[in-house]
Amino acid sequence: MEKLKVTNLKKSYGDLEVLKSIDLQVKEGEVVCLIGPSGSGKSTLLRCLNMLEEVTGGEVIVNNVKLTDKHTDINKVRENIGMVFQHFNLFPNLNILDNITLAPVELKKATKEQAKETALKLLDRVGLKDKAKANPANLSGGQKQRVAIARALAMNPDIMLFDEPTSALDPEMVGEVLAVIKQLAQEGMTMVIVTHEMGFAKEVADRVIFMDNGYIVEQGSPQEVFGNPKNERTKDFLNKVLS
Amino acid sequence: MEKTYNFTRLFMLMVVLLTAANLFLPFNYAKAEEKTYTIATDITFAPFEFQDTNGDFVGIDMDLVKAIAEDQGFKYEMKPLGFNAAVQALESKQVDAVIAGMSITDERKLKFDFSDPYFDSGIIMAVNKNNETVSSYKDLKGKRVAVKTGTEGATFAQSIQDKYGFKIVTFDDSANMYEDVKTGNSVAVFDDYPVLAYGIKQGNGLKIVTNKEAGNSYGFAVSKGENAELLKMFNDGLTNLKASGKYQDIMDKYLETGSEQAKDNGYFGLLKESLPSLLSGLKMTLILTVVSLLIATVVGVIFGLMRIAKNKALRIIAGIYVDIFRGTPLIVQAFFIYFGIPAALDFRISAVAAGLITLSLNAGAYMAEIVRGGIESVDKGQMEAARSLGLPYGKAMSKVVLPQAVQLMIPAFINQFVITLKDTSILSIIGINELTQSGKIIIARNLESFQMWIIVGIMYFIVIMILTKVSNVLERRIKNGKA
Repeated sequence: MEKLKVTNLKKSYGDLEVLKSIDLQVKEGEVVCLIGPSGSGKSTLLRCLNMLEEVTGGEVIVNNVKLTDKHTDINKVRENIGMVFQHFNLFPNLNILDNITLAPVELKKATKEQAKETALKLLDRVGLKDKAKANPANLSGGQKQRVAIARALAMNPDIMLFDEPTSALDPEMVGEVLAVIKQLAQEGMTMVIVTHEMGFAKEVADRVIFMDNGYIVEQGSPQEVFGNPKNERTKDFLNKVLS
Repeated sequence: MEKTYNFTRLFMLMVVLLTAANLFLPFNYAKAEEKTYTIATDITFAPFEFQDTNGDFVGIDMDLVKAIAEDQGFKYEMKPLGFNAAVQALESKQVDAVIAGMSITDERKLKFDFSDPYFDSGIIMAVNKNNETVSSYKDLKGKRVAVKTGTEGATFAQSIQDKYGFKIVTFDDSANMYEDVKTGNSVAVFDDYPVLAYGIKQGNGLKIVTNKEAGNSYGFAVSKGENAELLKMFNDGLTNLKASGKYQDIMDKYLETGSEQAKDNGYFGLLKESLPSLLSGLKMTLILTVVSLLIATVVGVIFGLMRIAKNKALRIIAGIYVDIFRGTPLIVQAFFIYFGIPAALDFRISAVAAGLITLSLNAGAYMAEIVRGGIESVDKGQMEAARSLGLPYGKAMSKVVLPQAVQLMIPAFINQFVITLKDTSILSIIGINELTQSGKIIIARNLESFQMWIIVGIMYFIVIMILTKVSNVLERRIKNGKA
């Protein structure tokens, strides 16, 4: 069953066409990794999936709800789509626990007590139970990103979007974040991940999509794309990043 | 959908605020059957009107109106606004009449109806008492001469200006005008005889060097075609007072050249004498500052948010508001709100209410920019992260972005607080009795402008220093509370 369906998606900033006719379908429980050079449009595509970017044309359908329809309550849809950012974007005015419980409590998904209980469970899961009362400023990058994942999971989403989740991390912290994402994949979460970690993509993805210049150039299983790329641009890119 | 919800809330908030403003601010809508007449007067025109050491307004005009009201049996409220403000207040029908040592002129007769003359004035020239070189109009060639705006002295000076070739410098009150001659910036002053004589008696350091020029007569004025009954009562009362001798008693009380009063003009004596009025002025200054800043904060948040709204119309409206209030001087805004709008729309508004509205809207425009700047300096990722969790724009703004923006805004807010406190002094121009106005009124009586302005300046300085220190402590606490 399709969780996510993108048809003929276009996005421009003024005269600059960033996405040129993207078609994409993601099945329930599928893990899709978006790879490609900088400026290829992969982050923009990801941000269109929860309407952080207004689309210029085409359709985005999530859980059979058309996001590109003006009458759709986008806030309701976003409750079911977790998003993790490159720069974590924790709320520095709130402690770790409040970062996680803010949305569930404000959106009346849970009482304060329930939300706190859930948050502590999630923190335990990402290995940061002892940091509940800490402030974001006192956490390392890897810890911040794990809190950001816990924060997204607190809304109990059925799709997770990751926008280069390890790009801003020191190398020794990449592993701890990828481990958490991998665990999510194993639990059957539907995920779209923009990443530069090719090894991780190979390991965790059901499908790898290579984008360049606003188009999906090539897609397939990790074995197909990494092992036997058909398109010249894919080969070129993989040669550069894997060498 | 979410946006509409937000706008509705903003709109409701504004309605609530305006309603509250209506409840608390003393608007006085014009009533046809009002029994108490409002009479505007000058504040610095001794011996016609000035404050005595008890803070009561006294003088020829004051005593005359009081005696006439008793004689004719009408009630009135005297409003000391300053000469220009009083005239404008009458033009815009904020008040029923003006008595302010005002000369009856043809030009004024176009707009006002005057009573019978109650005083025959005349213009006289005075110079610094140590000046031995200037004793006639001829000696003024190429020199500066001080006059008070809108007075007969000013008109007379203009009429002979070309003939004798001097320059005219205008002032808004007598004390400053005398001070200018005393310090030597101007060599001479043209003023009404009784005023100058009173000033010299108070030791203003000048001396009279010419004979009295036959001048105009002073009259009590009402708006043209209005308050005819009040005018008739004034005329009848004046006739009665003249017949009974009461009129002459009043004149003698203020114009009889008697011995100079012993005065304690040291700083301590001045301070002791003037402190009660200065403190009540300071209280008004603080009330104006605090109330207008509270309103300005709400206005600033609303318009600051509109400045960054997605909706173009909202952005434009907020932009126009900010541009207008930052692009015009506060004094112009005060005049426009106090005189202009009520005259155009035919309603009355108290000076304090007009002052509060002016300051609130003025500071609100700056606050809007502070709010906008604060919000814009919060990382965009904060809003995106909050929205990606499903939080609506308003919740994301109030729970995530604004708390962070407020911290960035605190130094600018404190700065605005100090500026607004100092700006209240400009409201003295519409007759609000705040600290600067209290100073002006006291100087009009004792003519000690140098010492009084030092005292007033020190009072502002102390209050602002205290508030700045308190704000700094507050700022540190808020920052530490976070870390």
